[in-house]
Amino acid sequence: MPSKSNLLLPQPITAERYNSMTNTQHDNGRRNFLQKSVLGTAAAGLAIASTTHTTAQTVQDASEPEIMNEIDVLVIGGGTAGHVAAIQAGRAGAKTLIVERNSQLGGTTTTGGVSFPGLFDAWGKQIIAGIGWELVKESVELDNGKFPNFAKVPQRHWQNQVFTNQFLYAILAEEKCAQAGVEIAFYEFPQTVEQTSDGWQVDCVGFGTRRRVRCKQIIDCTGGAEVVGMLGMPRLREEERQPGSFLFMLGKEHQPGRNQIHRLYVHGADSTNSRTATEANLTGRKSVLARVRKEKKRLMHMQPETGFRESYRIEGETLITVNDYTSGRLFEDAISYAFYPVDLHTKTGVRPKPLKPGKVPTIPLRALIPKSSKNIIVAGRCVSSDRLANSGLRVQASCMGMGQAAGAAATLAAKMGTTPLEVPLTKIHALLREHGQIIPGKA
Amino acid sequence: MKKRNRSFVSLLIALSFVVLAVTGVLAFALPFSLQIVGLHALMGFVFIGIIALHVVNNYHHLSRYMKTRVLWATIVITVGLTGLFLWQPAPIRSFLKLSQNLGPATDRFEVQKEGLIYQYRPSPTYQMALNLRAGETFDVTTPPHVAIWLENASFYHIKTLREPDDLTAGRAALPYWDFKRRGWEAAKRQMETEGLDSKPTPEVDGVSGATQNSSFDPADYILPADPDNPMPYRLLVEIDQPNDGQPSLVYSVEIDNSIPRSFQLLDMVGFPKQEANDADGKEVWALYFVDDQFNSALELVDSGLLTIDR
Repeated sequence: MPSKSNLLLPQPITAERYNSMTNTQHDNGRRNFLQKSVLGTAAAGLAIASTTHTTAQTVQDASEPEIMNEIDVLVIGGGTAGHVAAIQAGRAGAKTLIVERNSQLGGTTTTGGVSFPGLFDAWGKQIIAGIGWELVKESVELDNGKFPNFAKVPQRHWQNQVFTNQFLYAILAEEKCAQAGVEIAFYEFPQTVEQTSDGWQVDCVGFGTRRRVRCKQIIDCTGGAEVVGMLGMPRLREEERQPGSFLFMLGKEHQPGRNQIHRLYVHGADSTNSRTATEANLTGRKSVLARVRKEKKRLMHMQPETGFRESYRIEGETLITVNDYTSGRLFEDAISYAFYPVDLHTKTGVRPKPLKPGKVPTIPLRALIPKSSKNIIVAGRCVSSDRLANSGLRVQASCMGMGQAAGAAATLAAKMGTTPLEVPLTKIHALLREHGQIIPGKA
Repeated sequence: MKKRNRSFVSLLIALSFVVLAVTGVLAFALPFSLQIVGLHALMGFVFIGIIALHVVNNYHHLSRYMKTRVLWATIVITVGLTGLFLWQPAPIRSFLKLSQNLGPATDRFEVQKEGLIYQYRPSPTYQMALNLRAGETFDVTTPPHVAIWLENASFYHIKTLREPDDLTAGRAALPYWDFKRRGWEAAKRQMETEGLDSKPTPEVDGVSGATQNSSFDPADYILPADPDNPMPYRLLVEIDQPNDGQPSLVYSVEIDNSIPRSFQLLDMVGFPKQEANDADGKEVWALYFVDDQFNSALELVDSGLLTIDR
């Protein structure tokens, strides 16, 4: 364990720092444009590979392997729920750090390539908005993309998913984190988590980095409730998981945010740990290679990771059953809507069971809180639910809704010196509403 | 006189046989039509009467035939064919599947002040009854245009159960049904000219889409050959009250014989609106969620109840 004396406090990427970084890029871009113009005139007819220059911000004491953060809220996992949770916490004034094992934010939407998040609407009305929708909307608008017509009755639920440019989405998520004062730590993952008198001490490890984090609240957005598992709290897991999807494009150009992408089922895909995830990725890539050889077509695009559907779920203060889900039960502590068919993928495919007209499920705060826990909340597909309910709850818009609610609850708990379950629901609702989210059952 | 009577009967037999033959083929090939089947049945009764006269006129010849061996041959052939058609082995069933009429289907449609009742009985063991209960704005003296049809899980029209009474006005008033049925007719024509390969192929969506089914044969859904593996389908109703200044409304219910339910309520889906033509220049209609342009049309139907006796 590192001694406290040699732990360094790093500078977070603030909005000013982020802007200075992007400005540098613009300056270099202009310079490079002039350079390219001159070269282009002088060497007409020659193909010239151009490079735009930009300079990464110097990391203070980068050679020191051990650092420390004293923060309010630690978000572990920067995926679909995590980055939204972090942005909400940062915007609400919490000193926030987000730790992500991969190289970008967005998770399934970006790294997994399922860049058609949904569903934000139900029965002709928007039901999930807030930070997740803000990101999706900005990504689409910046990309000159198109939104589905939510007034139109979709014949299939996926017709109302929003085609999003995954690359823009990832960058915008980083920008919004920076603007909210959220520090981002890529390539890191917690090694130990210990409870303290006023929160947690979490030791994270990345290559060349050992980070000790002291925080008041943890938001576990790892997908499979990894932190909850590290703490020895009970989790649910099925004998057989739903297949994952590996996304690629063979033989034709992939236009992000525009077209459908080729996909294959990876049966047995399991994100339980690094070994099972490795196996899923190896299997997916091997299958792609086999198809390239068989079809003799160019591989034009491939995602770096399998999109996983299922691993662990928490045992929460309450459990959302499929009956709660399909009946559109309005929980008394509902913090977000959800909307998607019951959508259990099997070896033979999937036959989604659409919800009955007018039904819109809700997610209670208690389903995000591990049973009998304090100062920890989860968001994402590990929400406390039975398997069939989870097959509908696990999708991106719902996870974004959960993420924002978890960010709000954790921030308020940190400020009030309590645990998320003890925060008055009216305060959580008020904060969520202030940040654009739609509250179930409230006009 | 006797000769004239004989020629009169013979010509009447020949002409009524032509009507019977044509309506018989049409009844086999086309979806159920009360007009065609009614004409066929009633002309059949007339035919029986004329045949009786024909037998009287030709009794002498017939009695002579009955003393020959030909009688036994004709009896064997008739009994054999009757038994074969009653037994219906696989080749016969395959041929019957070509019929759009699903065999002894009968339907009944009634407009009452309490609402609309439609009954459909494609087989003695499968009977549907649809009851659209009248809402506050329903007026039995100016009944609405109504179309009832079936779609498969891929949203393809597979059978119109009930056309509007006034077909010309009904097609204009019920554009979604009209669009769906025209699409189905075009697809059938295409399949006939290009073969089965032009049939839409089901696609397994590895992310989140449905594994679609794509049979166009209503029998595959209503009376599947493999009862242990039925395919779900949908019953849709489009209804429009003339002169109310509002578009038609579409209601639907999914029928899944693997989860047999006797009673199911129809849900309002939306109203039809024409979209821009697709990339191939084809006409496109879609359903939209009901908006604030609707008032009395929402009160036309109080509820829709589908009852199925299996």
